[in-house]
Amino acid sequence: MPTPDINSEDYYKVLGVERSAADSEIAKAYKKLALKYHPDKNPDNKEKAEEDFKKITEAYEILHDAEKRKNYDQFGKAGIQGGAGGGAGGVSFAEADEIFKAFFGG
Amino acid sequence: MPDGADDGKKSYSMGIDLGTTYSCVGIFKDGEVQIIANDQGNRTTPSYVAWTDKERLLGDAAKNQVASNPTNTVFDAKRLIGRTFQDPIVQADLKLWPFRVVSDGSPDDKPLIEVMYQDVAKKFHPEEISSMILTKMKLTAEAFVGQRVRNAVITVPAYFNDSQRQATKDAGEIAGLNVLRIVNEPTAAAIAYGLDTKSKEKKTKSGEKETNILVFDMGGGTFDVSILTITDTVFEVKATAGDPHLGGEDFDNRMLSYCISEFRRKHKSDPTRNQRAIRRLRTQCERAKRQLSTQTSVTIEVDSLHEGQDFNLRLSRAKFEELCMDYFKKAMEPVSQCLGDSGLPKSQISDVVLVGGSTRIPKVQELISSFFNGKQLCKEINPDEAVAYGAAVQAAIVSGTGTEEVENMLLLDVAPLSLGIEMAGGMMQKLIERNSTIPTNKSQDFTTAEDYQDYVEIKVYEGERAMVKDNNYLGKFVLTGIPKTLRGVPKIKVTFNVDSNGILEVTAEDMKTHRKGEIQITNEKGRLSQRDIERMLQDAEAHKEEDDLARGEMMARESITVYMRRTRKALEDIDSEKILKRDRERLEKKMEEVDLWLDEHSNKATKEEFEAKQRELESAMNTIMLKINRSESDFWEQQAILPENEKTIEQGGYFLDSGLDIRDLIEDPD
Repeated sequence: MPTPDINSEDYYKVLGVERSAADSEIAKAYKKLALKYHPDKNPDNKEKAEEDFKKITEAYEILHDAEKRKNYDQFGKAGIQGGAGGGAGGVSFAEADEIFKAFFGG
Repeated sequence: MPDGADDGKKSYSMGIDLGTTYSCVGIFKDGEVQIIANDQGNRTTPSYVAWTDKERLLGDAAKNQVASNPTNTVFDAKRLIGRTFQDPIVQADLKLWPFRVVSDGSPDDKPLIEVMYQDVAKKFHPEEISSMILTKMKLTAEAFVGQRVRNAVITVPAYFNDSQRQATKDAGEIAGLNVLRIVNEPTAAAIAYGLDTKSKEKKTKSGEKETNILVFDMGGGTFDVSILTITDTVFEVKATAGDPHLGGEDFDNRMLSYCISEFRRKHKSDPTRNQRAIRRLRTQCERAKRQLSTQTSVTIEVDSLHEGQDFNLRLSRAKFEELCMDYFKKAMEPVSQCLGDSGLPKSQISDVVLVGGSTRIPKVQELISSFFNGKQLCKEINPDEAVAYGAAVQAAIVSGTGTEEVENMLLLDVAPLSLGIEMAGGMMQKLIERNSTIPTNKSQDFTTAEDYQDYVEIKVYEGERAMVKDNNYLGKFVLTGIPKTLRGVPKIKVTFNVDSNGILEVTAEDMKTHRKGEIQITNEKGRLSQRDIERMLQDAEAHKEEDDLARGEMMARESITVYMRRTRKALEDIDSEKILKRDRERLEKKMEEVDLWLDEHSNKATKEEFEAKQRELESAMNTIMLKINRSESDFWEQQAILPENEKTIEQGGYFLDSGLDIRDLIEDPD
């Protein structure tokens, strides 16, 4: 298994798993990293740990969800932005950015 | 005062289950969790605060006098915390509370509880009431470890929203606690379950097994369901759902309404406005409800309830179930939702763990079991103590004061509700989806809706509905100074950050000017300002001296009462040949005298007077004890050595040999 590189842009590399990894391997890799990086386990270095923990969790949330993982595999990060479920009015954010833009009321 | 770590002594961190009706405190000490009994010997403490003419009472002392002082006895603060006065839930509860709740009259519409203390009306925020209960729990822990304890993990229902979490954290600060963490109740209970199972599996050495469990946590006021995956030492919350206002008190209220209508029907008079009558009836309903978990019918009896009329009603378990059936069924909805959210089929749930007093109700158990196709439910952990137990473990994990086993554990909790902002048209754009592992942050770029718009207003909401008007408003802030340009050109980066307590902070940054605006959803909507908290902290400290005095008296009074009880029990237990008839009579006479004295002086004696009285009794007792043979005095030595919570009945405690607590079987005193 490759060594995890939590600063990588590639979620598989973040968790240190092969692209072909089974879901259970992904979960296992994440939990091992969580034990290492969770802020509770790094009381002297909480802020850095929190940032690191968020990185591994982001990777896990995508790769541990079959749908999101499929999109990520096909389109990379652009494929999963805004998350599943569509959000407001069924417009996902990746589209909104390019097509509609997201508007704030004045 | 230094923070506990003085004299090179190890400082302790406690876990507090701050419940709607009862609270419980645990501490990790000598390699294990100790659930701590309060000064009355009870392992859970009523979440009650009362004001009498003379003093403020907390816990059992407050609950015990509720019938005689209903308007100045406050409970259910957890049902008010983090809500507005106009909240429909608050408005509905108001009708059932004997104490007065008013609005603070500000635009925030915060609820205030009003009581009379020494002929002056005093108003308290729910946070202050909760802080008083937390103080009581803190004192209980301190009495147990014999030193100051400041660090605490406090639990909240998993389904508590941002304002309720914030407010609970504030309550901790007002109590002078260092709140290490706000932890979700079912998650805490899962730790208790996990450690329990682990210790049993040690022999088999299961390795890296993955177990999915569902925690069904129904207490006095709130209801939560959580699904967790336990992999070795990592506890990962997969999904959580619930109802922040569903629990045992709702069932009590149903029974109460039924009893009132029965009384009306029989006696053609209405006790509704008679606070004392209602309170007495409610106490009996609560008791009957508990009995109906083991019996199939009970009699609810109150002498001279209203206008001289007695109340007497035979209630069957079936009738009770009929009265509350809609609540029981309602509790199954979050179970389905939670399962759906977790993505796990029912068959993958290996254990259903029951927590909270209301899970003792047979019908509730039956419904859950049949939901899981007749599955055996896990009732092995103590439903009243599991949450405090888990909180104490988490306190040890976070503060690094546990054993190696505990420090290897990790808790991955989630945010219970989606978080987002309002977009043009009133739509909710979610930035953080519910059940996201925390801590977490998410950013998204937004832009302006109109030409030459130089500010944006960012309104933050939580909830699952598509339109913000259907969700819960948390707060807003305005980012100004955006360079005027055509709509759609500015790029504003909004970042949501949820910390380990599940508390949200929002920042917005104009990517061109790098101007920033931020809020921790704090001073908005019902949340106390830092100034408020500081003032209340001072109030609480000012109250402390007064309390310390009153507490000194109370403890002395309690101490002599307990001593009397022990002596009486010892007298009953001692073989008649071992004690001279004369001695026995002398001691009985002395006790009678002390009893009379207590009746007369109990409310006005000072600490010193109580202590003097106790010494008199002790010396009378000791003279007799000296005469009794050595093995009997061993009995008293054992008494002194055994901690209260391990004593069996023979030893003057509450436990049967099987480990069953007899207090669970007997009715509590009125």
